[in-house]
Amino acid sequence: MAGPPLVELRGLSRAFREGERERVVLRDADAVVRRGELAVLVGKSGSGKSTLLNLVAGIDLPTAGEVLVDGIALSRLSERDRTLFRRRHVGFVFQFYNLIPTLTVGENLLLPLELQGRATPERRRAALDLLDEVGLGDRAASFPDRLSGGEQQRVAVARALAHDPTLVLADEPTGNLDLETGLAVLDLLDRLTRRAGKTMLMVTHSPEVVGLADRVFRIEDGRLVERPAARATEERAVAVP
Amino acid sequence: MTPLLRRSGLRHLARHPWQAGLSVLGVALGVAVVVAIDLANASAQRAFTLSTEAVVGRTTHQATGGPGGLPEETYRRLVLAAGIDEAAPVVEDWVTVEAATKAAGKAASDSPRVLHLLGVDPFAEAPFRPYLGPGAAGTDVSALLTRPGAAVLAAGTARELGLVPGGSFTILAAGQRRRVELVGVLEPDDETAGRALADLLVVDVATAQELLGRVGRLNRIDLRLPDGAAGAELLARARRALPPGATVAPAGARAARTEEMTRAFRVNLTALSLLALICGVFLIYNAMTFSVVQRRTLLGTLRALGVTRGEVFALVLGEALAVGLAGSLLGLAAGVLLGRGLVGLVAQTINDLYFVLAVRELAVPPAVLVKGALLGTAATLLAALAPAHEATSAPPRAVLIRSSLESAARRALPRAAALGLALLALGALLLAVPGTLLVSFAGLFGLFLGAALLTPGATVLLMRLLRPAAGALFGLLGRMAAGGVVAALSRTGVAVAALVVAVSVAVGVGTMIDSFRGTVRRWLDASLGADLYVVAAGRPGAPLDPALAARAAALPGVSRVDAIRQAEVPSERGPLRVLAVDLDPRGRRSFELRQGRPAAAWRAVAAGRGVLISEPLASRWDLGVGSRLRVSSPAGERVLAVAGVFYDYASEQGAALMALPHYRRLWGDPFLSGFSLYLAPGADEEAVERALRRAAGPDRALAINPNRELRRRSLEVFDRTFRITAVLRLLAGLVAFIGVLSALMALQLERARELAVLRAHGLTRGQLWRLVTAQTGLLGLAAGLLSLPLGLALAAAMVHVVNRRSFGWTVRLDLAPEVFFQPLALALGAALLAGLYPAWRMARTPPAEALREE
Repeated sequence: MAGPPLVELRGLSRAFREGERERVVLRDADAVVRRGELAVLVGKSGSGKSTLLNLVAGIDLPTAGEVLVDGIALSRLSERDRTLFRRRHVGFVFQFYNLIPTLTVGENLLLPLELQGRATPERRRAALDLLDEVGLGDRAASFPDRLSGGEQQRVAVARALAHDPTLVLADEPTGNLDLETGLAVLDLLDRLTRRAGKTMLMVTHSPEVVGLADRVFRIEDGRLVERPAARATEERAVAVP
Repeated sequence: MTPLLRRSGLRHLARHPWQAGLSVLGVALGVAVVVAIDLANASAQRAFTLSTEAVVGRTTHQATGGPGGLPEETYRRLVLAAGIDEAAPVVEDWVTVEAATKAAGKAASDSPRVLHLLGVDPFAEAPFRPYLGPGAAGTDVSALLTRPGAAVLAAGTARELGLVPGGSFTILAAGQRRRVELVGVLEPDDETAGRALADLLVVDVATAQELLGRVGRLNRIDLRLPDGAAGAELLARARRALPPGATVAPAGARAARTEEMTRAFRVNLTALSLLALICGVFLIYNAMTFSVVQRRTLLGTLRALGVTRGEVFALVLGEALAVGLAGSLLGLAAGVLLGRGLVGLVAQTINDLYFVLAVRELAVPPAVLVKGALLGTAATLLAALAPAHEATSAPPRAVLIRSSLESAARRALPRAAALGLALLALGALLLAVPGTLLVSFAGLFGLFLGAALLTPGATVLLMRLLRPAAGALFGLLGRMAAGGVVAALSRTGVAVAALVVAVSVAVGVGTMIDSFRGTVRRWLDASLGADLYVVAAGRPGAPLDPALAARAAALPGVSRVDAIRQAEVPSERGPLRVLAVDLDPRGRRSFELRQGRPAAAWRAVAAGRGVLISEPLASRWDLGVGSRLRVSSPAGERVLAVAGVFYDYASEQGAALMALPHYRRLWGDPFLSGFSLYLAPGADEEAVERALRRAAGPDRALAINPNRELRRRSLEVFDRTFRITAVLRLLAGLVAFIGVLSALMALQLERARELAVLRAHGLTRGQLWRLVTAQTGLLGLAAGLLSLPLGLALAAAMVHVVNRRSFGWTVRLDLAPEVFFQPLALALGAALLAGLYPAWRMARTPPAEALREE
C-alpha cells in the first residue's frame, strides 16, 4: 500500500539565536514519510511544527542534519534551486488561505502552472476542473475578497494541487475555519490528495485529521516522536484477523 | 516574470489609486520641470541660431573693426587689392518700431517690436544670403537702391505690423526717429527661412548708414573663402588688406561666443530643475517602500509558491517602471505646457542681461522629450531599487511582520549616518577646492544627499528629545505620537528627508536671492549718484552725439555732466567691453575698488596709463592689479595695464573702465552711449528734462530717467531675472509636499488597525485627529529644525561658490532675522497641511471596518 520513502529527515536540528542565547526548536529528528501517505504533525503552539514544515519545503535551512525529498538533499541546493524545486514539486495550503488578492480565483489557480511555464491549454482546463471539484466552478472570475473563509480555503486547496505536485504541505488549514467548514475542507483535501496518490504533510490540532492519518508525529520539547496512527492500527487490525 | 505576476502587480497599483496617483504625479512634476527648462533653453538657443543663420547665411569668415566699425574703402580693398570675389558689406543694428505704427497692426502686447536692421548690398548678397539677393522672391531690389529710406520685411512681419508695400513707418534708430518706406515683402519658400527672416528689416547699405548716422562706415564685411591652401592664401591677403585694429575670424566664432555668454545662466537653471526631480525620487522611494511593506505577506506567499527572488525583484521594478512611464509621459505633456510659460521668462532674462533675442515659439526637439522620459523613468527605477531589494528579502513564510523591516531600518542607521557624513565632507570639499561650475553643483548635490542620509538618525535623536515635552503637553497621546514617528522610521525618515531638502532649497535659494538683491541695491545706491540719466530711446547704448552732452551741460540748473561710452573692442582674450568715462573726481566715488589703491588707480586712469576692470572680468579672465591686456585699435596694438578691480553688478561678462580721452585716442570713436546730469541745488528735475528735450530737437528720441526711476528699473530687471528661479523653487517645493502627503497617507493607512483598536478602546474622533496631527506636526518640526543648517549652508555655497564661479560676483550673505524662523514655519505648515486629509480620513473610518480588514 505505502510506496517508497518520499520525505526523509536525518538527524534534523534547527536552533534560533535569540540575543545571547540559542533556542533549540528541533533536535536530532529522524523520520520517513512514504509516497501516498498522509502524515500529520501535532504539538503545542510554538513547539516547532511550522519550522519543521518550512524545513521540508526548503524555505528554511536546518542547523544540522538533512531533509531529503524524493532523494534530493534540499540543503545542498542553492536558494534559487530550492525555490524552483518548490515551484515544481510542492503544493502549499496555509492557515490564512493567502490567496493573491490582486488575482481572480481562476488566476490564483493558474499561477503555479504559469510559474513553471507549463500552462498548456489542457493543463489549464485540468486546473479549472479542480475548481469545479471544490464546488466553486462559477467563481473563477471573482476576486478572493468576495469569497467566504471556507470558500477561500477551498480555492487554496485547489491551487495547491493545480500544478500536480508530488508533496502537499498544509499548515493548520482549518485553524481559521468553523468546525463544519473545517471538516468539509479536510474531507476535500483528503479526498483529492489520496485520489491523486499525493503525499501530504499537515500541521493540525484537529482530532478528526489525526484519525485519518497514516502517520502521526508529535513534537515535544524539540523531539520528534512518532505515535501510532489510528488508521494504521485499523488497517493492521483488518490485515491480521 | 509571468503574465499573471505582471497583472497582479498592475492591479495592485490600480487598487491603491491615491498611492499610485501621487507617485505618478511626483514623477510627472519632476519630469515636467526638467523638460520645461530644457525646452525653454532649447527654444532660446534655437531662436538664437535661426537669427544668426539668417544674418550670417553662408558666410565663412567675417572682417570686423573696433567700435567705429570699418571704413568703407576696406570693402573695395578686399575685393580689388586682395582679389576676394565673394565679399559683402554689412551695416546693422537693432531698431525699434514706433508704437504708433504697431498700434495700426495687432497691438497684442505692450513691449515694443524690435527689428534687426540689416543693411546689405543686394548685388553682393547672392552667395551669402540668397533670399536677399536679386531675384529673391517678392523683392524689388532696384527700389531698395534707388529710393531713400526703402526697406523690405518678411511678408508675415509686415502683416503683423499692419503694413503693405508702399506704406511707410517710423523707427527709432540710434536714438533718432526715422521714416522708412516698405517697398516690398520677402516671401520665403520654407518655414525655417520664414522664421529666420521674421526679425529682419532689410535695407541697402547706404540707407542703413544714413539711418544709423554712420555714413562711410561698415559694421563688418562677410567673406566666403574656399577650403584648403587657396583659402589660406586668400585669408592672409585679406588680413594684409585690413586697417589696423580690424580682424578676420571664422563666422562661427562670434555665434559661439555669444552662446557661451549664456552658458552659466542655463547651467544654473538646469541644476535647479534637477532639484525638483530629486524631490520626486524621494517620493518614489517612499511610495515603493510602502507598497512593498504593505505586501510583505503577499510576497512571502509568492515566495512559498515558488516565485524566485529575481522574479519578485522584477515584479517590484516592473511596477516602478509602470509608474515611471506613466509619470514621465504625463510629465512630458505638462513640461511642454510649462515650457510655454517659462520660455518667456528665459527669453526675457536673456534680453535683460545678454543680448536682443526674439523667442517667438516653443521649440520641441524630440531629443529633449526622449531625454526627459529617460530621466524620469531612470530616476523612478533608481528610487525603486532599494525597495525592490527589500522585497526579495521577504522570507517565504506566511506570517510576516513589519517590525523586521523597522529593525532593519534601525540597524542601517549608523551606516546611513556614516555615509551621510562622508558625502557631506565630500560635498564641502568639492565646494572648497577651486573648480568648474559643474564641480560646485556636484558639491551641492553631495551636501543634499549627505543631509538626506543623516536625516533619519537625526529624527530619532530629535524624537527622543521631544518625547518628554510632547508627553508633558499632550499626555499619553503626545508620547505615542513621538514614538510612532520612530516606530515607522522607514517611512517617516524618508518623508522628513524629502521635506528637509525642499525646505532648505526654498530657504537657501531665497536667502541667496535676498543677499544678491541687497548687494545690488547697496551697489546701486553707491553708484547711482546723478539726478538724471540720458540714453538713446529704443536701444540703450546706441551712439549719441557728444554735442548733446555739451548742450546739456550748458542748461540752466545743471551743475555737472558725466559722459560715458560703452563699446566692444578686440583684445587678445576676445572681445572686451569698454566703459569709457569722463568722470568728474566726485563721480569716482560710485566705483568701489575691490583691489588696488583708489588714488593711484584713478591717477593712472586719468593719465591714460591704466584701466580699471570689473570683478566679473577679473574672475573670468583671471586678471588682477598689475595684469596687462593687449587690445587692437586703429592706432595699432596697445597694452592696457590693470590699475584696479571694481565691484560691478551691471554685467556678468565684465568690462574695463578707461578715461574717455584715452578711448577716443585709441579708437577714434567720437560718440557717447549716455550721460548723467547732476543738478544744482533747488533745480527742477522736470524743467531740466523738458529743456534737454527741446535742446535735442524733435527727431531725437531720448530716454531720460530720474535717479529713483533708474534704480527702480534696475531692481525690476533683477527681480525679473529671478522670477524663473522662484517658479522652480515653488515647483520643487510642490513635489516635496506631495511626497510628504503620500508618506503621511501611507503611514496613517498602515496604522489603520492600530488606530481602530484605540478607537474601540474609547479614543474619540477628536483625540484621534489630535494624535495624527501631533505626529505630522512632529515630522514637520523635525524637518524644520534640520533644514535650517542645510538651508544656510546652501545659501552660503550658492552665494560664495556657485555665484562666484558662474558670474564672478562678490555677494554679501544677508541673513534676515526671519530666515531663522522660515524653515520651521514652512516645514511645519507643509506637514500639517499634508496631514489634514489623512487625519480626516482616519477619523472618519468606522473602527469596525478597519478591524475587519485583514
